[in-house]
Amino acid sequence: MQGAITPPSARSRSSVSTQERSSTVGHTSSTIPQPSKPSIPLIHPRSKNPSSGTSFHRMRRIIAENAEWSLAIVPLLTELCLQHIVKNFQKNPVLKQLLPEHQQKVLNHLSPDLPLAVTANLIDDENYWRRCCVQRWPVCHVARHGGSWKHMFFERHLENLLKHFIPGTTDPAVILDLVPLCRNYVRRIRVDQFLPPVRLPPPPWPGDQSDSGSEGDAEEPTMDHYQLGDLVAGLRHLEELDLVYGVKDCGMNFEWNLFLFTYRDCHSLAATIKACHTLKIFRLTRSKVDDDKARILIRSLLDHPALEELDLSHNLIGDRGARGAAKLLSHSRLRVLNLANNQVRAPGAQSLAHALAHNTNLISLNLRLNCIEDEGGQALAHALQMNKCLTTLHLGGNELSEPTATLLSQVLAVNTTLTSINLSCNHIGLDGGKQLLEGMSDNKTLLEFDLRLSDVAQESEYLISQALCANREAARQRALNPSHFMSPNTADGPENSAG
Amino acid sequence: MNPPGSLGVLEQNVDEHSSTPILGPSIHSDNPQERIQARRLRIAARLEARRREALGEYLDGKKESEEDQSKSYKQKEESRLKLAKLLLCGTELVTNIQVAADMRETHRRAEEEELKRQRIEKLENEVKTSQDKFDEITAKWEESKQKKIPQELWEMLNTQQLHCAGLIEDKNKLISELQQELKTKDDQYVKDLKKQSDDICLLLERMEEQVKNVMKTFRQELHYIEKAFEVERQELLASNKKKWERALQAHNAKELDYLMNRIKKVEDYEKELNKQRIWDCEEYNMIKIKLEHDVQILEQRLQEMKATYQLNQEKLEYNFQVLKKRDEESTVIKSQQKRKINRLHDVLNNLRSKYAKQIKQFQEENQSLTLDYKRLVTQFKELQKAMRHFAFVDDEKFREIWLMNEEEAKDLIDRAFAVDRIIHAQHLGLPWTAPDFWFLKNVGPISQQQKKSAVQIVEEVLMQTEEEVEEATSEPESYLDLPKQVSARTTRKILMLLCDESGFLIESKLLSLLLPLEKSECYLLRLDAIFSALGIESEDDLYKLVNFFLKYRARHISPIQVKPLHQAITEKTSVAFDLELDEQLAMEGEQEEDLVEEEEQEEGLESPPSPWLIHPNDVLKILEAFVMGLKKPRDFRAPVKVLKVTRNDSRDSEYWHALTTVVPPAKQNLWDALYTALQKYHLVLTQRARLLMENEALEQQNTELQMLLQQYLDSKINSQLQVPPTQVFRVPPK
Repeated sequence: MQGAITPPSARSRSSVSTQERSSTVGHTSSTIPQPSKPSIPLIHPRSKNPSSGTSFHRMRRIIAENAEWSLAIVPLLTELCLQHIVKNFQKNPVLKQLLPEHQQKVLNHLSPDLPLAVTANLIDDENYWRRCCVQRWPVCHVARHGGSWKHMFFERHLENLLKHFIPGTTDPAVILDLVPLCRNYVRRIRVDQFLPPVRLPPPPWPGDQSDSGSEGDAEEPTMDHYQLGDLVAGLRHLEELDLVYGVKDCGMNFEWNLFLFTYRDCHSLAATIKACHTLKIFRLTRSKVDDDKARILIRSLLDHPALEELDLSHNLIGDRGARGAAKLLSHSRLRVLNLANNQVRAPGAQSLAHALAHNTNLISLNLRLNCIEDEGGQALAHALQMNKCLTTLHLGGNELSEPTATLLSQVLAVNTTLTSINLSCNHIGLDGGKQLLEGMSDNKTLLEFDLRLSDVAQESEYLISQALCANREAARQRALNPSHFMSPNTADGPENSAG
Repeated sequence: MNPPGSLGVLEQNVDEHSSTPILGPSIHSDNPQERIQARRLRIAARLEARRREALGEYLDGKKESEEDQSKSYKQKEESRLKLAKLLLCGTELVTNIQVAADMRETHRRAEEEELKRQRIEKLENEVKTSQDKFDEITAKWEESKQKKIPQELWEMLNTQQLHCAGLIEDKNKLISELQQELKTKDDQYVKDLKKQSDDICLLLERMEEQVKNVMKTFRQELHYIEKAFEVERQELLASNKKKWERALQAHNAKELDYLMNRIKKVEDYEKELNKQRIWDCEEYNMIKIKLEHDVQILEQRLQEMKATYQLNQEKLEYNFQVLKKRDEESTVIKSQQKRKINRLHDVLNNLRSKYAKQIKQFQEENQSLTLDYKRLVTQFKELQKAMRHFAFVDDEKFREIWLMNEEEAKDLIDRAFAVDRIIHAQHLGLPWTAPDFWFLKNVGPISQQQKKSAVQIVEEVLMQTEEEVEEATSEPESYLDLPKQVSARTTRKILMLLCDESGFLIESKLLSLLLPLEKSECYLLRLDAIFSALGIESEDDLYKLVNFFLKYRARHISPIQVKPLHQAITEKTSVAFDLELDEQLAMEGEQEEDLVEEEEQEEGLESPPSPWLIHPNDVLKILEAFVMGLKKPRDFRAPVKVLKVTRNDSRDSEYWHALTTVVPPAKQNLWDALYTALQKYHLVLTQRARLLMENEALEQQNTELQMLLQQYLDSKINSQLQVPPTQVFRVPPK
């Protein structure tokens, strides 16, 4: 009877324990509380038979010279009941019917190893889940999971499963069985590796690089990764999806195949994110997304109801992909767009600038380590003269030079929304630096302006930094007392900023 | 100052390092850019510090108004700026690596691109040259085919081989070059990896250092701030303590001053007190002596008072005893009275309840009685109505019966008289005279004369007087009603006078209405109004008035007699009235003479009480007197009226008796005798009549029998018979 109740997740353990249980019924009572023994050290010895070895201790207790000795050491019936509940929680989870204080007691003594099928939807106590998390992972950043230990547990649990899922080998039910348990608690999925399917007959010939490439082409249908569709459809509160189609720690087993984001993967992912209407943040980085795949993904994201952040950094997106992103800008409520470290050139930047000119949602645009050059830079600068929304712009490492700086200095004089610009690693030049300095002299809102390694004269850089400092001071004053922001204020500013 | 920014940068850094390996020198290497960066940072920091100082001073200056806070504030501000700078510099230092890596990457990319371009160019060149060479070789193949000489061909082939070998050599060289390049790239990759790991290490190191630094500086700054606060507090404490001490000292000095003043004052007051005390003592003694004297006097008085008091006490005690006794008595009486009161209260209550009960009872009774009364009244009214009805009916019946009886009686009397006349005429042969009795003419019940109203009489009088002009004074019917003492003329005169004089009694409206009327009518209406005003209603009253007027004359002569005379007159009138009635009944035929006689008597008795002699001025006085006098007899009027209704039947029996005795007894006797004689005569006559009758009957019988015989004889049967009976006997001739 007890074996029938055991959940399938604990299959391996139950198969072992059923044998034990089948031997003697009386024996089970002693074997089951074994794991809970350390959690209830005070109560346990008392519940044992008086004939056990602790009798001496107990005798001592009874003969104590205390005149006020009483039978209070006999545990209360409620205590005993609670112990029993804790002991048999897996088979008979009784929690909601208890009084609040008793609930707390039971929760404090429950083992973190209980099968999730029992605990997932029954226990909401954060303390219990904290114990579970701490037991499993040495480092826990609960703040990254919305401050909820339960969310953290399920999210990380799911991530672990996904990370180690091998298509074709691992049973997909392992993940899908978890869906009904964790659907209410998973807000984000952050997976930084997807394992490719294992080739069962390992190729006997040591393949060259060219061979492996041809093999990859030949076996492309078999190289698909786990399809997220079913899982994501089951999670009703999913808000963030952070994926990397690659393998971590491959070491000397490196093969290009391991880092292959196939078209099928791409299509299924596109369908998945299109179907997930709660998704707010979508990140797909370091996954060799080229123009075509980017366009497939972006097409599926057009007019998405909730999407706010799109991160496609460290991919192979070119001008066509950038054009798609520009289209997405005007067809969604995107607030953050990250295309860092791609292959966007002037035409792509120009289309982005065109979209940016009339956009009212985008706050942050990152085009770091692309190659938009002066043409693209000028187009963006022109767009910024019209835009009233963008606050952060990263154009580091884009081969920009003086003409862009000239236009940007004009933008600085006009724009009042930009707070942060990064122009590092460009070839602004001395004259460009001077022009930017001129632009800065009229600006009161910019707080950060990175001009490192961009051939700007030290003097102008220093002066710009001074202007930034002044702006920062002003901003601080404004933030502290918005009514009269010019007056000096209390000194708790540094502590706040430091924290 | 901007932790989110720095954090973001850090994250990006991490991403960077994990994804794109960048070749670069470490901080210890001789990278000029790195060094430049460091130098720049140093300078910037220095300048920043200077600026901060200036700013701090400026802020200080601004804050000088708040001297107490300035130090800690300055410290805080300084710390804040320092920490901000530190953070900024630190993040810059950390991100420098990333920026450098980026830079290197861009450089690398640029170089790569350049190299790629060169390589492609080179390859293209190579392809071109090799193509040329190949073309040349293939051209030579054609050429070689035309060679016929084997040596030449061999030579040619050799050169071809050489050329091919050269081509292959070139290609191989290119390949080896490329492979070399690849190898170097691999090396570079390994180097890059190493550099990246170094970079990461450096980054971590710097981050750690940064964290450490920041922590340290934060602690330090915290320490400084705390110290500053401490110092400030100390200073504040010291200054406050100093102030406090100064204040305390001042306070002590003042206290001392006050003490000295006080001591001095105390001495002064003591002296004054002594003086005052001595003076007071003397005064006290003096007063004491005086007061003792007073006390003696008062004690004497007290003794006296005590004596009187004793006396009074005894008196009062006696009084008290008396009063006590009285009080006791009074209490006894009071209790008695109380008891009595209680009793009386009980009685009163009883009586009250009884009274209430009785009131209730009586009310009920009253109600029932009133109901009874009402019922009785209605009954009475009904009864009266019935009575009136019955009276009327009775009257009627009485009258009818009377008439019937009377008729019967008169019939009988007539028959008696007729018989008597027949007897007288036929039997006695005497002339018969019809007896004449008053009652024979009487028809209907004997009734009293009805009293006429004053107005009717007046009317009559007036009419009478008008008619008088033509007719003689004697009008038997009209005089009948007038009082016997007063003539109609006199009455008329008096009335005219009254009418003229007492016009004030008539309403003015009536006067205006009377104007167009005839004189007599006018008088009549006037008199009517006057009489209604005076209260004269009946005939009697009028006569009284007239008489009163007449008597007034006499009173003028002897005013003392007025009253009795008046009474006498009234009595007389009433007597006269009765008499009149009697007379009316008794002797109807002699009325005329009687009246005349009486008038004459009156006139003779009362001398000439001519109305002419009554002065018009006296009329009012007479009227007043009359009205005064009239009030009395008014009261008797109601019973008189009732009496009037009852009929006087005293003369009925007399009447009826008289009727019975119409035939005198002498005549009756005569009749009796006649009766007996006639009876005898009758007897004879009856006998004769009977005989005649018998005779007649026999005759009739004879005729009848004859008839019957004749009948038999005439019948047919006779002829049929053999022997007719007619043959037998002889029929008597008819």
